[in-house]
Amino acid sequence: MTKIEFNKDTKFSMKHNKKTDRIMQNILLIPTVLSASFVLMILIFISQRGVAPFLPSEYGNESVNFLRFITGVTWYQPPNSYGIFFIVVNTVFVVALSSLIAVPISVFTALYIAKMTPKPISKFFQTIIELLASVPSIVFGVFGLGVITKVVLWIASIFGLQTAGGISTLATVFVLAMMILPTITLLSITAINSVNLDLEKNSLALGASKMQTYFKVTLVSAKSGIFAGIILGIGRALGEATAVSMVAGNAGSGPSFDLFSTTRTLTSTMLLGLKETTGLDYDIRFSVGMVLILLIILTNLGLNYLKKKVGRFS
Amino acid sequence: MKHSKRRRLDFLFQGVITITSMIGLFLLIAIFAYVFKQGSGLLSWDLLTSDYYATTYDTYYSDQLGDEVFEKPSHLDESVYFSSKWGIGFSTALDNEGKSYMLIAYIDSNSPLRILPDKNNEGEVVEITENQALLKVIFTNYTIIMSSEGPENAANLFDAADGIIDMITTTSGKGIRGSIITTLYLIILTLIIALPIGVLSAIYLREFAPKKSKIVEILRRLIEMLTGVPSIIFGLLGAAVFIPFTSTFTAADGGNLISGALTLAVIVLPVIITSTDEALKVIPDDFRQASLALGATKTQTTFKVVLKSAIPGILSAVLLSVGRIIGESAALIYAIGTAIKDQIILTERSTSLAVHIWSIMAGETPNFELASAISIIILAVVLVLNLIVKFIANKLSYESRTS
Amino acid sequence: MKTENVFQITNLNLHYGTKQALFDIAMEIPKNQVTALIGPSGCGKSTLLRSLNRMNDLIDNCHVDGLVQYENDDIYDKNYDVINLRTRVGMVFQKPNPFPMSIFDNIAYGPRCQGVKDKKTLNEIVKNALVNSALYDEVKDRLKEAATSLSGGQQQRLCIARAIAMSPEVILMDEPTSALDPIATAKIEELIQELKKDYTIVIVTHNMQQAARISDNTAFFLMGELIEYDKTDLIFSQPSKKQTEDYITGRFG
Ligand SMILES: Nc1ncnc2c1ncn2[C@@H]1O[C@H](COP(=O)(O)OP(=O)(O)O)[C@@H](O)[C@H]1O
Ligand SMILES: [Mg+2]
Repeated sequence: MTKIEFNKDTKFSMKHNKKTDRIMQNILLIPTVLSASFVLMILIFISQRGVAPFLPSEYGNESVNFLRFITGVTWYQPPNSYGIFFIVVNTVFVVALSSLIAVPISVFTALYIAKMTPKPISKFFQTIIELLASVPSIVFGVFGLGVITKVVLWIASIFGLQTAGGISTLATVFVLAMMILPTITLLSITAINSVNLDLEKNSLALGASKMQTYFKVTLVSAKSGIFAGIILGIGRALGEATAVSMVAGNAGSGPSFDLFSTTRTLTSTMLLGLKETTGLDYDIRFSVGMVLILLIILTNLGLNYLKKKVGRFS
Repeated sequence: MKHSKRRRLDFLFQGVITITSMIGLFLLIAIFAYVFKQGSGLLSWDLLTSDYYATTYDTYYSDQLGDEVFEKPSHLDESVYFSSKWGIGFSTALDNEGKSYMLIAYIDSNSPLRILPDKNNEGEVVEITENQALLKVIFTNYTIIMSSEGPENAANLFDAADGIIDMITTTSGKGIRGSIITTLYLIILTLIIALPIGVLSAIYLREFAPKKSKIVEILRRLIEMLTGVPSIIFGLLGAAVFIPFTSTFTAADGGNLISGALTLAVIVLPVIITSTDEALKVIPDDFRQASLALGATKTQTTFKVVLKSAIPGILSAVLLSVGRIIGESAALIYAIGTAIKDQIILTERSTSLAVHIWSIMAGETPNFELASAISIIILAVVLVLNLIVKFIANKLSYESRTS
Repeated sequence: MKTENVFQITNLNLHYGTKQALFDIAMEIPKNQVTALIGPSGCGKSTLLRSLNRMNDLIDNCHVDGLVQYENDDIYDKNYDVINLRTRVGMVFQKPNPFPMSIFDNIAYGPRCQGVKDKKTLNEIVKNALVNSALYDEVKDRLKEAATSLSGGQQQRLCIARAIAMSPEVILMDEPTSALDPIATAKIEELIQELKKDYTIVIVTHNMQQAARISDNTAFFLMGELIEYDKTDLIFSQPSKKQTEDYITGRFG
């Protein structure tokens, strides 16, 4: 038997080996810190721009009164009466309604896919939901403006009401509901699938019907996972911009709870009428962005608190 | 008695759930049906390759006309009306917005109209080609053709005339070539920026990071938080950071493709990091141990063995990122702008396909046909990408189950 | 005849977190012999094996006290080069674990990591390793194929070839045949007999017949303690400890 030796010099390799790994570790830290820094960059630079409109002498004499901004109920560009209060209310209203529609549909769909249908069909439906999840916002916008607004127009005509071509709170609610449906459904499927099958079997053995078992055992046990899906969906809905801007309209004042009148959300405010890229009307959009970030964080904290409370009793 | 009531209730619930769960399918079909109905008529090679802005040519013909008589080629059908004196044929066509106009359907290679002097630029010539639209002609005998004239009339009027004082033609326009190129640029640039950063970050976090380090835990959290940031907020980041950044270091002045790609890079970063991390996570420790036991360094182990096994996961990340880039609109509206361009320059504005839709829908008269045609393209690409990713994932989980 | 020892273990104590896995181990591993480590599952055989090439370093909460000397150097000295140690002390694992690359690349992997680039040298190393692991005839026409296309027994011999390609002085084997069928097992046992002319082999085995067949020395462990260590024929014919006898006669374990 032969042995082929090659250079394995101890002294050299010892220094070399230890060093390469340490150097590599430090090199790899650079992209990691960079990746992590973007969230901080977002907070810092958006705040910096978003605070500017409230500072004196940034734009000649026209600085915005912060109190008026926070409590205001109109949004007109030319006379600089920027008030965001009603926009926040409208946004919350629209998102709440859309989740009211989307949640039951999503949970039922998840139940159907996870429990009530044989594997090939359930796989097919899951793929459909996944594809729906991957439809870009702009396409929902085109569909919303081309179809949903017509549906709203039709509904309005049944009640003998007027709408601005269907562009309305209701159209926004519908579009948002469509967009968060896949998110909530997919997370609910995961939650339902991770429910211990023994629980269901016990329930069935005790003489409960399948439906009773699904509602009283399966969904109750999957509660916390489903809730996580709802939180994610609501987060998406709050930040959704393009599609919403195409069907929300450009309401100048509010708050408005009229389903058939135009509305204005935080994101549509940021996106609509964007012309100049300097000046007060541009920078105020960063202030709106700050409010949006704040709203998303607060909503998340609130809902997560609720989730913990709900989870405690299961 | 009570029993049958329960059965009926069960049946009712089952029906309600089944019907409800069809809604997703119904919506997907509805979206497809709508964009196909609106957009498929426009979808053509011409749409993909032509400019968005029409170019208008203003010319005249003052030479002595020869007495050559042109033959109408046999491949042209009834709908094309031919002037045998000038060797040119006209028909009616629909433009990319669905309006009808008069098209130069055929022009003979020897036609006197082939090369004409340019009225607006002394000494220059313009080339009259097929597929240009005929807007207006004033002949030397003072007859006039307007674009509303039918092609039959036009051919007759041409046959009756001997010279042209003024002829205005235009290329079709409303094409999306520029936006396709922009989209491709954005995909390539974004991946060049985001892929190394994302993959290396994932490698650091999974392979090299000291365990139980507080700082590493914070880094991890901050990266996770990116996933929840709405795309319009990324747009603001682009406007506040990347536009000034690129304006400082390049010829750019305002939104540009590089600032757009940087913004998109931040958007796809969590996608790449998560997918790569998932891939690294399922690589059996056996490989790492075998490599280290052979005297390989951790660096060698990672880049020669571990990373190789993670390639399918990284590929999925790339495909998902491409889908995200193609579909992204809100962020780019801020990070680049909404000006549709035909000449694409990295340091200037232009629109991706998605923002192109936004631009043509945002005005007073939204162009549903063109928007739907572009939507078909976007949907097709995004859905195919997603199916491929699903296929890769299935194959991987199958392999890890069987090996 | 005085045998030379490659490893000298003194007072070795090893903890996983708070749990002690090895207690005061002291033993020598003689050169160019096969030493078998036997004992019931969980008694610390793998742990001891891994402490010989410091693979325990990879386990987060593993803590080693005591002295392990390889060719008279303390391998746990903080200036000792682990990577160099591992090029001299190869390892074969319980489950065949070829890399997801070609057969050739699997074997050339180790030398390449040491900076061997020359094609001719690599070819020679690979061929030599395959011949020495009795795999050459079976795979010589398919060196570019994926290593995972081989059968389980072939994969394990490939892993041995991969270790041999480094021309180590010692090969550690952790139950190398436990995942294989009897025919593949026989082939590997045969190979080990062949290899011991050139290499020192330390093998963990669950199978007492295997230990008896192939090893020169046998160490019997129980709950992290070295109960008895001697020539294999002595251990199996007249064990000096009651526990050893109980174990090899199959009374527990
Ligand atoms: N990575 C580890 N972390 C914690 N405990 C471990 C680890 N590996 C092994 N042990 C423990 O150390 C003891 C010895 O394990 P091991 O050396 O694998 O035994 P053997 O190979 O003889 O079956 C066992 O009790 C086992 O549970
Ligand atoms: Mg073991």
